[in-house]
Amino acid sequence: MATEALGRPVMDGSRRPFMRRALPYLLSLPALLVCIGILIPFGTAVYYSLQRYNLAFPMTRGFIWFENYTLLFTDPGFWNTVRVSLLYTLYTVGFELVLGLAIAMLLQRRSFFNNTMSILLLLPLMIAPAIAALMWKLMTNPGFGILSYFASLLGFPDFKWASASSSALFTVVLIDIWVYTPFMMVLLLAGLRALPRQPFEAAELDGVPQSFVFFRITLPMLTPYIITASLFRMLESIQQFDIIYAMTQGGPGNSLMVFQVAAYLERYQYTNVGRSAAILMVLWAITFLLSNIFIKQWLRLRERARGVA
Amino acid sequence: MSYLSLGKLKKRFKNEVVLDGASLDVERGETVVVFGPSGCGKTVLLRLIAGINEPDSGTVHIAGQEVTYLAPEHRDVGMAFQNFALYPHLSAFDNIASPLSARGVARGEIERRVHEVAGLLKIDHVLHHLPKALSNGQKQRTSLGRALAGNPGVLLLDDPLRNVDAKLRYEMRLELPRVLKAFETTVIYVTQDYKEAMALGDRVAVLMGGGFRQVDRPASIYKDPDGTDVARLFGDPTVNLVPGTIEGGTVTALGARFPLAVSLADGPCQIAIRPESITVTLDEATSAGATPVDLGIGEDTHAVPVELDAVTPLNVRAVMLLRTADGRELLATCSEDEASRLPRGHGRGHAHIRAADLLLFDPAGRRVRPGERQ
Amino acid sequence: MQRQTVIGRGVRVVLLTLVGLFFLFPIFWVLLMSFQTNQDILRIPPSLVFTPTLENYGALISGRLESTAGVLEIRFMNNLMNSVILAVSSVALSLLLGIPAAYAFARFKFRLGEDIAFTLLSFRFAPPLLVLLPLALYFQQMGLIDTYIGLIWVYQLITLPLILWIVRGYFEDISEDIEHAYRLDGNGWFKTFTRIAIPLAKPGIAAATLLSFIFAWNNFVFALILASADKQPVTVGALAFVTASGIQYGQIAASIVLSVTPTLLLALYAQRYLVEGLSLGAVKG
Repeated sequence: MATEALGRPVMDGSRRPFMRRALPYLLSLPALLVCIGILIPFGTAVYYSLQRYNLAFPMTRGFIWFENYTLLFTDPGFWNTVRVSLLYTLYTVGFELVLGLAIAMLLQRRSFFNNTMSILLLLPLMIAPAIAALMWKLMTNPGFGILSYFASLLGFPDFKWASASSSALFTVVLIDIWVYTPFMMVLLLAGLRALPRQPFEAAELDGVPQSFVFFRITLPMLTPYIITASLFRMLESIQQFDIIYAMTQGGPGNSLMVFQVAAYLERYQYTNVGRSAAILMVLWAITFLLSNIFIKQWLRLRERARGVA
Repeated sequence: MSYLSLGKLKKRFKNEVVLDGASLDVERGETVVVFGPSGCGKTVLLRLIAGINEPDSGTVHIAGQEVTYLAPEHRDVGMAFQNFALYPHLSAFDNIASPLSARGVARGEIERRVHEVAGLLKIDHVLHHLPKALSNGQKQRTSLGRALAGNPGVLLLDDPLRNVDAKLRYEMRLELPRVLKAFETTVIYVTQDYKEAMALGDRVAVLMGGGFRQVDRPASIYKDPDGTDVARLFGDPTVNLVPGTIEGGTVTALGARFPLAVSLADGPCQIAIRPESITVTLDEATSAGATPVDLGIGEDTHAVPVELDAVTPLNVRAVMLLRTADGRELLATCSEDEASRLPRGHGRGHAHIRAADLLLFDPAGRRVRPGERQ
Repeated sequence: MQRQTVIGRGVRVVLLTLVGLFFLFPIFWVLLMSFQTNQDILRIPPSLVFTPTLENYGALISGRLESTAGVLEIRFMNNLMNSVILAVSSVALSLLLGIPAAYAFARFKFRLGEDIAFTLLSFRFAPPLLVLLPLALYFQQMGLIDTYIGLIWVYQLITLPLILWIVRGYFEDISEDIEHAYRLDGNGWFKTFTRIAIPLAKPGIAAATLLSFIFAWNNFVFALILASADKQPVTVGALAFVTASGIQYGQIAASIVLSVTPTLLLALYAQRYLVEGLSLGAVKG
């Protein structure tokens, strides 16, 4: 009855082997460590947000409870950030949903052309958002950008794209739509193709009009997919950083000063760590709420997909 | 000590007690069929023996060594699963070879053993197929072959014929005893089918209410059940249960008085009568001059007036639904041949029952045996 | 499903052409630009007719950019190498950490496991800067700032939850009895894990690997904050390059093409895994 190497039980069948009980914990230990690795800086961020902490004035550092937050909530600049972030999220998710659904319906029928098309349409999603912004920067260059050229053909010879506050939001939303619509498209397409056929066949037999089929059959059955995909996109859109930072760094003025860009500049331009952390905590509260709803929706959808498969 | 010994096994899942002190001893080379209603814990019992689950308390001994908490791979136990549990990415050959290669058996020896087992199970020709290319019957044989290939000390078969079609089940029921004997292994066989239990078991262990209700040879369990619950599990159609009264060396039931060979205490009782021990005659036939003796009914039978309500053919036998004078329903069986002589539908007649065929139980359903005074 | 009329068909073709143009034209245009000289690029109106040149790629690969202002040293190839190192190592580490954990969460239902899985997933959706800004200060103290190790560690934030959750679903789909059978054959749990569980979860592992590689490659913000020029991946490097090279548009286009080629090729090569991966396994492709 010798004790064997680690991970193998003691050859004595009358006792509960310790290793078997410990195995799940040992297997997930590395993931646990990474988890702690995230939780510690998160805790630090919470702590910073309650401090007067500016790297330029280390002497003034001190605990001030919620002063960073009260200062934020009375600052019109912060409310601009909230407004721009929400508008950005609303426009991107809204347009991507409508466009994604429309494309998915165009590609619904399985055919070689449609399948090839759906794969090719995925390509923008594979491009880093920061790089995508650079591509659009080239295309909207006032000197040689192809989009600037098209705009001049359409009668806007001096369209400024991201360089003017009036059109900056439009431009970055357009880039976001270019990158992320394929995501909506691919999820909704998979959803559409997974729908049962009988209701549609019955509707066709009865000669029900197409619009009725769409609003009363397709949309309700597709709702779980629409909700999951939209929540996922909202989570990403509300914290968009890459596209906006690469395009304009939040400018011109503060017309694109969304949460994460504002927090980044607060930290690296104004060295105000406390205020930056407070901005991010507000954003975190929003994403925490959204992600909880999303995870529930997603798990439900996953259970369904498993049941079908 | 027996080769496989289960001592007072207890196991609960969440709030449900599945096993509550189940004990069983199995001799080397013996086949014991564990039989019971669905959800009685048969599969859990196998999993405790295999080491897939651990009991909350109690012990498992194999070959005199305690293995209660030993990992499955160290137990010398083979198991065929109800859902086959074949390795989908390995060929039938590699599936069967798995216990051998796990033990580091040489390649040539593995080849020889796998072909031997496959030959015995008649699946030589599909050994190179992946499980998904096998028919259900071939899957079932492959899974059996895998369990047998390692020649384990204890072989556990978890309702292996459940997921195969009727024809195959019938074939395997005939074939399995031969295969199992060829391996001289100790077998625990779980099933929900009483015919399988009767056909395959050296002994049958009836698992009910968390423990073994009765463990005995198949014929004994059928003829001599320990309780009405056990009696009801065996037989198709199910046994007839009627109330009766014991009084002064006789038992009164169905309006007839049966003498008792042994003396039992007076009082109410339950009586089980197997359908095949009831012989039915119709009044038209007897009034036409035939006596019970002519019909092959013994002298010691007691006739109960009944009405024949329906006759249903069932394979080679027919089931008759009878109604006694007090409105009680009885089931009886006879051969198709005899049934063909009975008029369809209604008819007045008699049910002939031998006193010796009565199985007596106390009102709680426990068997009343001679000498066991209450 | 729907009746197709000639007009319906025509409208469909027109719409799909427009969609295709919108999503694919930018890639095509930048690809063309990368083969053009600055003179071709600056021509108004733009023309599809030009003599292709490999000059831009040559300059990027040699690392010497000759312009009117003089010779500029660029390290774009270094950035590309960094992207490869970071993405490959992060995914490899995530597989190493994530697959055993995914197995533990799938097979042994234990409270702590559920909590870890959820924490990792919910932080996948939390603002990255929230963790990154304090982490930058810690990394400075620990000497991890601007090191591959530090970056690879932080990259686990995106790659690990993805692998954990996708692969976990696949492990859960494997019948436990198959593993029990293998144990009873005489194999220990580790062999059961490597010979049964992992091979059977292969499609899920492939999908998770593909997706997490793409996400790691495309990440921008981690390296922006935690790395200086010589450790930066292409995403950050390309942006710096735009600032440094000024008006060398051909080279910018070439650098973009080089940056996106690996993920685009990978996506086309393994496209059947994309859908399942993108939805974290919620939609079967």
